[in-house]
Amino acid sequence: MRYSVENARILAERAAHATHADAAEVVVTSASSALTRFANNRIHQNVAESDTRLSIRAVLGTRTGVASTNRHDNDAITRCAAAAVEAARHAPEDPDFGGLPEAAPIAAASRVSATTAGYDADRRAEAAAAIIGQSSARGFVAAGTIATSDYAVAVANTGGVSAAMEADDLRATVLSTGLHGGSGWASYLGSDAASFSPSALGGRAATTAERSEHPASLDPGVYTVVLAPEAVSDLLDFLGYLGFGAKSFAEGGSFLTEAIGTSLVDERISIYDDALSPGTIGLLFDFEGQPKRRTPLIAGGVAVGPVTDSYYARKLGLPNTGHALPAPNPYGPMPLNLELAAGDSTEAEMIASVDRGIYVTRFHYVNVEDPMKVVLTGMTRDGTFLIENGALTTPVRNLRFTQDVLAALSHVGAIGSQRALVGPGEGGATLAPALLLERWEFTGQTG
Amino acid sequence: MRDAIARALEAATSAGASYADARVVESMHERLSVRTGRVEGIESGESLGIGIRVIAAGAWGFAATADLSAHGVHAAAAEAVALARAAATTARAPVALSPVAAYRDTWTGPCEINPFTIATEDKLAILLAADEAMRAEAAVRVSSASLDFLHVRKVFGSSEGSLIEQAYTESQAGIVAYAIGDGEMLPRSYPNSHGGQAVQGGWEAILALDLTGNAPRVGEQAAALLSAAPCPAETTTVIIDGSQIALQVHESIGHPTELDRVLGDEAAFAGTSFLSLDDIDTFRYGSEHVTVTADATVPGSLGSFGYDDEGVPAQRDFLVVGGVLSSFQSSRESAPVIGRTSNGCMRADGWNRQPLVRMTTVSLEPGTWDFDDLIANTESGIYLETNNSWSIDDKRLNFQFACEIGWEIRNGALGRMIKNPNYTGITPTFWGSCDAVCSTDHWQVWGIPNCGKGEPMQVAHVAHGAAPARFRDVRVGVGR
Repeated sequence: MRYSVENARILAERAAHATHADAAEVVVTSASSALTRFANNRIHQNVAESDTRLSIRAVLGTRTGVASTNRHDNDAITRCAAAAVEAARHAPEDPDFGGLPEAAPIAAASRVSATTAGYDADRRAEAAAAIIGQSSARGFVAAGTIATSDYAVAVANTGGVSAAMEADDLRATVLSTGLHGGSGWASYLGSDAASFSPSALGGRAATTAERSEHPASLDPGVYTVVLAPEAVSDLLDFLGYLGFGAKSFAEGGSFLTEAIGTSLVDERISIYDDALSPGTIGLLFDFEGQPKRRTPLIAGGVAVGPVTDSYYARKLGLPNTGHALPAPNPYGPMPLNLELAAGDSTEAEMIASVDRGIYVTRFHYVNVEDPMKVVLTGMTRDGTFLIENGALTTPVRNLRFTQDVLAALSHVGAIGSQRALVGPGEGGATLAPALLLERWEFTGQTG
Repeated sequence: MRDAIARALEAATSAGASYADARVVESMHERLSVRTGRVEGIESGESLGIGIRVIAAGAWGFAATADLSAHGVHAAAAEAVALARAAATTARAPVALSPVAAYRDTWTGPCEINPFTIATEDKLAILLAADEAMRAEAAVRVSSASLDFLHVRKVFGSSEGSLIEQAYTESQAGIVAYAIGDGEMLPRSYPNSHGGQAVQGGWEAILALDLTGNAPRVGEQAAALLSAAPCPAETTTVIIDGSQIALQVHESIGHPTELDRVLGDEAAFAGTSFLSLDDIDTFRYGSEHVTVTADATVPGSLGSFGYDDEGVPAQRDFLVVGGVLSSFQSSRESAPVIGRTSNGCMRADGWNRQPLVRMTTVSLEPGTWDFDDLIANTESGIYLETNNSWSIDDKRLNFQFACEIGWEIRNGALGRMIKNPNYTGITPTFWGSCDAVCSTDHWQVWGIPNCGKGEPMQVAHVAHGAAPARFRDVRVGVGR
């Protein structure tokens, strides 16, 4: 079982004060999670785990060192603290390190839902059966997961920071595979299982699979695309990873670095990071115990700035937006709750407005070919359709794209009015609408 | 550890498991990283826990806990059985396992100099010197160097009588220079990208890499890339270096020959495979130059062990022989589907994960060519080095890789440098176009410590032996 939020806080404070250094910071992450995995219309993996990790950052002057353990007895904490201090002792001075941050007010909140907490193995099995039933009734095959994550996180430092909260989430995915090359995908992510309907989710995937049977070949080329929220979330995630963090910004490797205050993409594009949004999941403070703030990254198409932590806020002379990851952090501060501002079109209206284009349910295995231009490559998957004269017509085989995303976001046709929460769960998620993009380059096709 | 194993097996079978195994895994790691002159992190950690896997009511259940007390182990065992019973509600046939003997054994990986005993100052000295040397080039605005060490000790026990203790040490190092200018950021790495080279071994493996000695060249090449020619968009001959061949093998042969993918167990996440069960001994995977092994006995490889995480002994198996598919990587559960016993490919990412079919050392066997002779034998094309990006579809057919650097080949000689080269293809067509593989003199095992698969996500440490190889009629410069 995981620690209660108060016990996690007590453990963090105890370890911080047991660290013999000029200052110390402790992050305690205690989690119980479970995942029911199904494939070929039966559950083939049913797993659960519980663990509590404690990480100590010791500070000696401007030198820091980090050690972690998943043991919590006094000896283990003493050993972990000593290892962190020893690491700090060997580190060179870092003139850009301004010390651990001070305590800042954090909204008291719990993101634990009674409905999600009650989603035990039997309920997950029932949900899996309901999802599977939608595919098996059509003679199709379902695969996917139903996962719950329940965690408490506490951050304490010797300067008075003591932040702690608990949260949970439920994530479900389903891939329905048809008999003649069709496949469909649907997913759910949220913190209130009451809004999760397994049969509806399974039905969505199976319906798409049914509709995408007998896919046809299509010549690669530049097309207008309607990207469903799941596909849009991939683009947002890569923008965040490559350019919205202060580290790549400071190093000159971000598309934001030379663009602050200038028009970067279409004026209808506004991207924020907002862990406080009621529609998202995750922590309300970062791994330095600082409050997360709604942070505009691109507003009305104009580059605004990166997310920061205490180190990069000081280094760049920017406000601390509360986006530290656990130390030591090779990525720098990162946005974990990105959202693209909604537009005013329904997905049906977007499709209706396209003479000839392609509808993409989701992408697969997207990766970076040029980090500063955000050139990505990847495949479509599980529901790719030709749009002709304002309607979905022929399902098409999976296509490979190689596309400059910033250029694509400079030619926006419409933005969806409804947004979906998409992500891996466990604290991070993206709020994404559908997007109509006027130019998207497909460079290859499977089969 | 052995007490916890015994308690877990007793508790699981008492609760109704028809089969149970348990793994106690204790690990410690250390990571040091330097970036652009700054020591970015000195970090160490430890982890200890037990994972209990059972078959009850004919289905799998798995529970893991860091609480190794008698109460904690009993609770986890009971939970594993309850999970299995819940899973059984959707089962169509009970899980059946291929037989394996009961082993009581120990195995230890190679390690001459324990890296955890090396002074932090000595480790930082190498990183700082290499990092600084790369930045001798003004265009190199960002540089990084890192060391990673891992020691794992694990005990496996099963209700069938196995009790196996294994231990190994892994060491990894790498450097990267990033040249930034004119809206481009171009990396150049040594000895490989994505963290460098990783092996089972100790400090001696780090010293052998000579990071500092290679750093000036890495910096110079990164700087030169800024003014290098763009990759032409054409269909041509490519010669690909061993490290990129390793990743090509990983993505387009290693993953599609995992039997759990072929059977659909990974469909919703990692994907399936273009291969089917009846392709064994008939499917033409590549040219006659393509022979691929899965070998868990290669000394010093990340893919080596004494026994997999089901207690099956390490083996060497042929996946592709002379271009024809000959086997799949399997587990005790999946192997009977193809009428075989497990070839020992089940591994878990730590105590808190259920084992999956994972690659061991999946290698393109060496050919006969000398590298210089191969270049000299090639009239025109591109030579590509070091992975920069990878993407492949869910059936492992349509791939696209980008490399850090390339050179034109003209009239049997390397010519001008090419930046941002990439290439794309369809797996069997690509391997079918292979007409030369370099010899054992150019063959080495490359560690890949970041292979993601499964839900919850597991990261496996695998490896691939590879030498430079030549492919005809390959499309390059996609989207350039």
